Amino acid sequence: MSGPPYHLRANKAADRFALIEAIRRLHKLGVELEEYTYYGLGGAYLEDMRLLYEYCPEIAMISIEEKLEIFKRQNFHLPCGTLRLENCSVKSHIAQYEPNDKKSIFWLDYTELHYECFDDFITLLTKLVIGSMIKITLRADPRDYWYKSRRIQKEKAEKFRTEFDTLLPRQFVDLPRQYEDFAYLVQQMLEIASQQALPARANPLTFFPISSFYYSDGTWMFTLIGVIWPRNDKVVVEGAFGDWEFANLTWARPKLIDIPDLSTKERLHLQQYLPCSSPRGVTLRAKLEYLIDEDIPKTESALEQYAAFHRYFPYFLRGIP
Amino acid sequence: MNKAKQIRDQTLSALPFKSFFVSMLTHDIKLEDAILDLLDNCVDGILRSKKQDGNMPYKGFLAEIEFKPDLFSISDNCGGIPWNLRDYAFRMGRAHDFEPDVLGSLGVYGIGMKRAIFKIGRYCLISTRNDKDQYEVEIPKTWFDDESDWNLPVRSARRSLETDGTTVIVGNLNPGIAEQFVDEKMFKTGLERMISTNYAYIIDKGFEVKINGDPVKPRTTKIVFHMPSREEIPGIRPYIFKTTADGVDIFLTVGFTRPIPSQSEILDEQESIRYSSIDAGWTVLCNDRAVLYCDRSEMTGWGEAGVPRYHTQFIAISGIVEFCSDDARKLPTTTTKRGIDASSPLYLQIKNKMREGMRIFTDYTNKWKGREDESKKQIQRGARLSLTEIKTESQRLTFNATKRSIPPGDLYKPELPLPSIIEPMKRRISFVKEAAKIKKVAQYFGDSDMEPSEVGEKCFDTIYGEAVK
Repeated sequence: MSGPPYHLRANKAADRFALIEAIRRLHKLGVELEEYTYYGLGGAYLEDMRLLYEYCPEIAMISIEEKLEIFKRQNFHLPCGTLRLENCSVKSHIAQYEPNDKKSIFWLDYTELHYECFDDFITLLTKLVIGSMIKITLRADPRDYWYKSRRIQKEKAEKFRTEFDTLLPRQFVDLPRQYEDFAYLVQQMLEIASQQALPARANPLTFFPISSFYYSDGTWMFTLIGVIWPRNDKVVVEGAFGDWEFANLTWARPKLIDIPDLSTKERLHLQQYLPCSSPRGVTLRAKLEYLIDEDIPKTESALEQYAAFHRYFPYFLRGIP
Repeated sequence: MNKAKQIRDQTLSALPFKSFFVSMLTHDIKLEDAILDLLDNCVDGILRSKKQDGNMPYKGFLAEIEFKPDLFSISDNCGGIPWNLRDYAFRMGRAHDFEPDVLGSLGVYGIGMKRAIFKIGRYCLISTRNDKDQYEVEIPKTWFDDESDWNLPVRSARRSLETDGTTVIVGNLNPGIAEQFVDEKMFKTGLERMISTNYAYIIDKGFEVKINGDPVKPRTTKIVFHMPSREEIPGIRPYIFKTTADGVDIFLTVGFTRPIPSQSEILDEQESIRYSSIDAGWTVLCNDRAVLYCDRSEMTGWGEAGVPRYHTQFIAISGIVEFCSDDARKLPTTTTKRGIDASSPLYLQIKNKMREGMRIFTDYTNKWKGREDESKKQIQRGARLSLTEIKTESQRLTFNATKRSIPPGDLYKPELPLPSIIEPMKRRISFVKEAAKIKKVAQYFGDSDMEPSEVGEKCFDTIYGEAVK
């Protein structure tokens, strides 16, 4: 995957914080966080586990890593004693996973878009108990299917249709070219997958969406968070997450995370004006008194993004080891 | 011993219990098949309305399906239900001496609409307009509870329909049906796929079907047809057989839909979770309706009489066989119209031709194994044609009359290109490596999208270059 190192990707960092925020709201469902175990693909630096330990230390954690050398590197970077490392593939782990009536939080953090990812998602949904949460991240970059040659482009679209035939909400001739439209297509495919896993006629539980985003740190990605809950009890889920700024409880179009590049000095300057009333981008532009993009509308749009995600956006500073 | 009481002479009622009748009628039919029954009625209505001639006989006709968690409806402009057909439309079954009023009608047994309605719910309103007849029939929930009343009330239409057609609204959905509609996206995806395959050729010929406002696109098979300047030059063309037998017109064609798969593609397919061969195999049409779609089983001749069982190697091979008759009873379909009657003598005869055609193309894939790139160039020279286009283009071909085969007919056997003989001293190199390592080497060569076989070949050529220095 192209882009900055994994642990320094700003938009990914904001997406990671959004998960922490969603987890912190789980107690509003009437559950206790210490009942949960978190399963993630932490990468070499175990960034999500480090963050989760800071905000929710009561949650036990398990990291799943297939590659031996990265597993060894994870062992070196263990952030706490409540994290257990497992050296196996996601597929293998899901196949052997038994909830034993315990609640789980899974982050299926994929870097590609393959049917196997949806298959893992479906398999996991059929196993998770009530109150469990899944976050799934998938590659959603329409540029993967853009080709100068019309013939190759059609072949790629045909291959996509063939691979995802049972998950497509509509038949199509050409794949969506806009990033938001492509991300929305992936979201709809996940919605269908969740219905296949937990069909209404056979299961009182369903997968409620909580939030969804699309972003790029070099490659466009889509991410969705949802919770397993009785389908007739939607009001509880709405009560727990409905007032969250980033909630998407209706499978509406995903939100964009596109945090602008601002210096630490600029961020500290703007911090004193946040939170502010809408339109936030206009307010902040007036405080900066200059443009940070090509024109006023783009600057205000970028600053609106900053205002929305500023609390989730870490400061990247050079430290002396 | 007590003396048994003698029952005096009297009569017993053998009338069916309504609840038993309704449940038996709907027990084994899937919801999607019930909806297809309603679409079949639309097509019958089109035939009754005298569809146009030419390549788009269904153009101008439309069926709109809508579903919500508490309601189902289907509206069409396909001519409506004539008053004089009320018995056929609304009584259960049909009279033994009933003759179909339309040529080629898909409906034979007179139960499709009723079965569909009973499958979906316990309330129904049917509004219809046919030329000068306009009326409504309501089946209230109480009708199902009253065992003695088999009559249905008819009344003048409360809402005037603008065109000749029918609207069927079903409410009070049965348990299980409402839940399927709750999973709206999943159900719509599945229904759309079913209609796009079963009705592919009817939609392709102009019939419009919408589900919750979205039009259904047809999934038709297109076969490569390369017509060089001289017919005798070998080229990638389909095998074609056509005939008429006992009032049934038959057109059969089989060929390639795409280049044959490379060895690495076959390997990837075998390791993949999902079978991606969904467009390969035989589609069997009866009066434009697909009763088998992309079948790859013994039902269509795979694995029989010299034809190998279906394998990913044959992913590029597809065939269409079309049966057309004014009398639907002569078509080789099952009673549900959703499958082929495997014991039909007509179908068994045609299956011989299907196998004969398939062998030509399975044989080609064996001959060109390892030389898929060369084969790909040949196949890409041809255009992918629809069934209608193949019928048109094939008129330029020279057919042989097969008088002694059963059934007799006109046959075109393509002469496919043969590979030039490989020098005997060449050998294949084939091995398996981790995908991540292959990608790394491809990146090293400057193209991360290289196919594994190209990476292997370049590695060999590079080292060979070093070795001969």
